[in-house]
Order: sequence, then C-alpha cells, then structure tokens
Amino acid sequence: MSDCERIRPLVPGYLDGELSEEQASPLRKHLLDCRACRTATQGEKALRGWFVAGEVIAPPAGFAAHVARRAFAGDRGERAPADPVGDPRSQGAVLNFVLAATAAAAVLVLLLAGGIGGVGLPTEGGLRADDVAPVTEAEVLRNLERLNRDAVGEADLVRPDPGSGRE
Amino acid sequence: MEPAANDDAHLVQETLAGSQVSFQLLVERYETRLFALARHYTRSQVEVEDIVQDSFLKAYRRLASFDHRSSFYTWLYRITVNTILDSLKRKGRSPVTSVEDPELLAQPAPVEGFAPSGNLEREEVAEVTRKVLEELPEIFRTVLILRELEGLAYQEIADTLGISIGTVESRLFRARGRFKEKLLALFPEFGEH
Repeated sequence: MSDCERIRPLVPGYLDGELSEEQASPLRKHLLDCRACRTATQGEKALRGWFVAGEVIAPPAGFAAHVARRAFAGDRGERAPADPVGDPRSQGAVLNFVLAATAAAAVLVLLLAGGIGGVGLPTEGGLRADDVAPVTEAEVLRNLERLNRDAVGEADLVRPDPGSGRE
Repeated sequence: MEPAANDDAHLVQETLAGSQVSFQLLVERYETRLFALARHYTRSQVEVEDIVQDSFLKAYRRLASFDHRSSFYTWLYRITVNTILDSLKRKGRSPVTSVEDPELLAQPAPVEGFAPSGNLEREEVAEVTRKVLEELPEIFRTVLILRELEGLAYQEIADTLGISIGTVESRLFRARGRFKEKLLALFPEFGEH
C-alpha cells in the first residue's frame, strides 16, 4: 500500500481534530511532500465551509420553568405534535371527533330521558295516565262563569274611591 | 467521588429525589442547544418548541434509567434526535425509505470539495446547506448536523446515535460525498468556478 493510500482515509479525522499526535504527525509530513494529497485535503477542508448554521431560535422566556412544571405534573411528552392550523387532515379529525361526540351525547340523552320518564309511572298493568274521569262541557262553562264573577269582584275592589282625592 | 453541587450528575440526583428546581436548572442549561439542534430540522418555531419540550419531558420520565456512562447532554441529544426523527416520520417528511439502506449503496465519489463563493452572505450559505441537508437520507443528514453544525466529537456522535466510532467515520465519509453530489445537483452553478 502506498503512502497516499494509507494517508487519505485519515484526512477527514485529521481535519476533524480526531487524530492523536502519533497519527497526525506522519500525515502532516506526507502532506508537505505530496501535492495530490495536499489538494485532496484542501478539497475536504473547503467542503466544510458550507456547514454554516442558520438563524437560531431562542427559547421563550420561562420555558424551563414551564417544562419543569409539566414534568412534575406527570406530562409524559408523548403527545402527537400539533398539526399546523389549517391542516385539512387536522380539521377532518376534529370534525370526526365532534360528530362522534355529538352522536354519543344524543344516545345518552335518549337513554336518560327514557329512564327519567319511567320513574313514577304506574307500575300496575291496569292503571293508565288517563284514568281520571273526563271533564264535561257543562263543568267547563260553570268554571268559566265563576272565573268571570271573581274577576268583576276584584275590579270593584281596586276601583279608586271618589272621596279620596286621588285620581 | 461526590458530584459538585451544580454539575449535571448532581442535578440529576436532586431531580430524582423530587427537586423540580434542579430539573429546571438542567432544562435551562441545555434548552438553547436543543433549540439549535431541532432548528436544523425544521423552520417552524412552534415545532422546535414542541420537540424540545417533548424531549425534556421524555428525559425526565426516563431519568432513572440514565446510567452516567455517557455525559448527560449526549444522552439528552439522543432523546432529542429520536424525538425529531419520530416527528419527521409522523409528518411523512423523512427522505429515508424502508427499502433503501443508504449505507449499502454505491460509495460516493471522493470528496474534492469547493468552498462557498465569497459573494454569498452567511445566511445564504446556511439556506443552501439547509436545502441540501433536507434532501439527504436521514442517517447522513443527522451525522452531518451533529458533526458539522453542532460540533460533536466522534465519540459524542457515537454515544448519541448508539453506534461505534468506526460507523461514525464511515457514515461521515459517505455523508460528505452525498452532500457534495446533492449540492451540485441542486445548485450546479456552485461547481462552475
């Protein structure tokens, strides 16, 4: 194996600062003597110039306190990340959930209504809700007449006294 | 030897003993680094916050299993990288396919790189790099981010990803080759000087 074949695989580690001095020293000597390996090394180094981090995002104020609170409150941190607002898949999921919840609530209300309706109803087979004797037409007319008389009497009671001076 | 009052090991112990303040100190110590790490994968501030928050919550839940064989922050990085990759997978944004093992594919051409043109502003270079990284298979993208953008040493990358140093070296070699190929494919103008 030539020196070049031996040296080339070490170049990335050399540029990354991962070689021991024992490994780096012969490599440096070889680079001084070998133009091809020097060019390859410069190429490796140049490529690293592309790795530039973009703009950073700073954690919001109080982030650490908020996370610590949640951790100690038992939050497991395994929820699915929120889909961006407006995501049709997310809206569809919400709609499905609302429909399912509404249907379940409707069934529950029907069951409860049935249960409440049954409470206090006659339990003997012979009894009916309309077992009360029917009211006759004559009774209705008598009741109306009595109501009219009562109303007239009340009107007399609230009529102003002409001698009181009050209009 | 007892850990110093404010080092990670001590704060971990205190957290396990029930100190919320100690855990808050750990979060404060690493939140900026984790925000930077997550930012390499997404431009959404909300997503970055969600990822970092979930990572810390998972770390808290698994704290008892932290065995101190690696440093706390490489352990935390590992959780965060996994949280990021899970999140990308759920959103269908991972360029890795199940049938492709990028490490078995043909060896890329040796890297004979070229520096970004001096005419480009720093943010422009960062934007080009981000676009190229987005196109790489996830294992290459992550190893490049950890090494080139986060400045982790090979051993730290190995600890973070749970692989050997030899695998880190070979993966980095292939990743750099792929990066150059993709850079030229997406931006051929940068190869013309």
